[in-house]
Amino acid sequence: MAQSTTRNNRRRLGLILAMGAVSLLILFFFSLTFDVPGLTFTGAIEALVGYLSKYPDGPYTVNEIIVGGLYFPRAIAVIGVGMALSVAGAVMQALIRNPLVDPYITGTSSGAALGATMIMLAGFTIAGAGIFTIPIAAFLGALIAFMITLLLAEASGGRALNYVLAGIVVGTALSSVVSLLLILGGNNVHGVLFWLFGSFANIRLDEAIIIIVPTIFLSAAVLVYARELNVILLGHEQAWQLGVNSRSFKRLMMVITALLTGIAVAFTGIIAFLGLIVPHISRILVGGDHRLLLPASMVLGANILLIADLAARSFTVGELPVGILISLIGAPFFGYLLVRRGREYVG
Amino acid sequence: MSDELIIQIQDVVFSYDATTTLNGVRFDCMRGEFLGLIGPNGSGKTTLLRCMNGLLKPNTGVILLMGNQISKMKLTEIAKVCAGVPTEVPEDFNINVEDYVYLGRYPHVEGFWWEREKDEKVVEDAIATFSIDHLRKRKLFELSSGEKERVLLAKAVVQEPKVLLVDEPSAHLDLKYKLEIMERLHELSRLGITVVCASHDINLLIKYCDRVIIMKSGKIVTCGKPDEIMTEKLIRDVYEVEAMVMRNGGEIFAIPKRTLKQGEMP
Repeated sequence: MAQSTTRNNRRRLGLILAMGAVSLLILFFFSLTFDVPGLTFTGAIEALVGYLSKYPDGPYTVNEIIVGGLYFPRAIAVIGVGMALSVAGAVMQALIRNPLVDPYITGTSSGAALGATMIMLAGFTIAGAGIFTIPIAAFLGALIAFMITLLLAEASGGRALNYVLAGIVVGTALSSVVSLLLILGGNNVHGVLFWLFGSFANIRLDEAIIIIVPTIFLSAAVLVYARELNVILLGHEQAWQLGVNSRSFKRLMMVITALLTGIAVAFTGIIAFLGLIVPHISRILVGGDHRLLLPASMVLGANILLIADLAARSFTVGELPVGILISLIGAPFFGYLLVRRGREYVG
Repeated sequence: MSDELIIQIQDVVFSYDATTTLNGVRFDCMRGEFLGLIGPNGSGKTTLLRCMNGLLKPNTGVILLMGNQISKMKLTEIAKVCAGVPTEVPEDFNINVEDYVYLGRYPHVEGFWWEREKDEKVVEDAIATFSIDHLRKRKLFELSSGEKERVLLAKAVVQEPKVLLVDEPSAHLDLKYKLEIMERLHELSRLGITVVCASHDINLLIKYCDRVIIMKSGKIVTCGKPDEIMTEKLIRDVYEVEAMVMRNGGEIFAIPKRTLKQGEMP
């Protein structure tokens, strides 16, 4: 025995978290000063502190409004959504024992978008829920859509590609309903694009906090179950022999993935493929053990989405929805997985 | 083998739906016993194994695992005592050999997240015992069938079970590995683990098992030491096949000859 496997893994986990945190911090401050002429890092921090100390009454300086009111909530929301979608994707892949799924491909994101738009158009508030009304509606939409997809896929044979096809059916149907509702409701095409491609423009600080705080708690909850996620990869019977009832565990994980997806979609729309790409890259980097895979997916997802959002902001013709950029990378990546993994796993 | 009772199966009846799969099965297993389950397809061998680790709940009857009613035990308590050796490794996910063997430690790990030194020692011992050190980083689906079998056994052994439930261990193996896995299971039983093994291969079971249970249509036809109960009539009754049972020294073989024609059925 060359070296203790466990100690080795702990060291790798520390390294992943340290590297991820450092690069995230650099990107975070970069995104605060991005595109503001003459603003230094210290200037940005001063503006941010100024904004937060006067929140929510003001009055603010111009820099405080830009950094604290626009860029800071945006960066926080991006980090939260990046983490949420990546964790949800990694958990779904273990849950279904299928590397070809994520919240978008299973139609879960579309369900969340439908839940959110229905509530918004109805102008309806769940009593006592206040600003949480939209995320709660998105969660319910996500949960129902995910369950329909699972039922469809299992009824049609339960193989890897059945989940992809069932997800396309559910996702396309629900996205169409979202578009229809928005257009009938008098929204312009821009509003439709926002929901179908995801964007972080105009996110508010209170919304950003509703994204990041639950995401951190839910991710921590998933981390607690990292070993059980390893075990359920073996299938129901072998998991049982190790002392895990995968049926009840899967129900819990379904609710958590739907919550994460609902939070990620409620204020920023559908960002496709992120939950697929990130766990795959993480698996290449750290292997399949969820004790390493989940933390790696969290920091990698936040980093990648932050970079993509900076890129979306830097288009001179006007801001792109960040989801379009991710899809441009994600769709070919998915095609590659279909060819390579599809042959390996389907059968 | 000692006379300490490890498993007691008392009048177990189980049915998936209308048809009864197990119908009043009753037997005991001793500590360190190597027990074979013999019977044609659909005779209830796999169902019986699944009842023995609580995966299936009998409609009536009681199963005791080291004196405790299995229906009242927690899943993790069962897993600490009773391990399974499945027919196949899961090949649909990119798990490597080392991670897979470590999973066998799951019910025992006391740390919140990580295995302790004690767990690592058990795993490393098993990796050495089954000579799979060079396979550590290989993916499960890349292994040959003989290698898979050793990995499956290593994972079961790190679970430190008192009972090992083995379902059809030899299905995909060639002759050498069929014998090798039976030899390994026999060694484990001499170390005090009760091994219950279901297989289609009558000759493998009667060669290695201390005792065999012959099942047909959810019932135990007979049970005992292979050389005491194996007869041509028994095989004819159970499998509807004419066979020759031969003895050579202490060994006993069953050689199938032909299927029974209509009208010859027992």
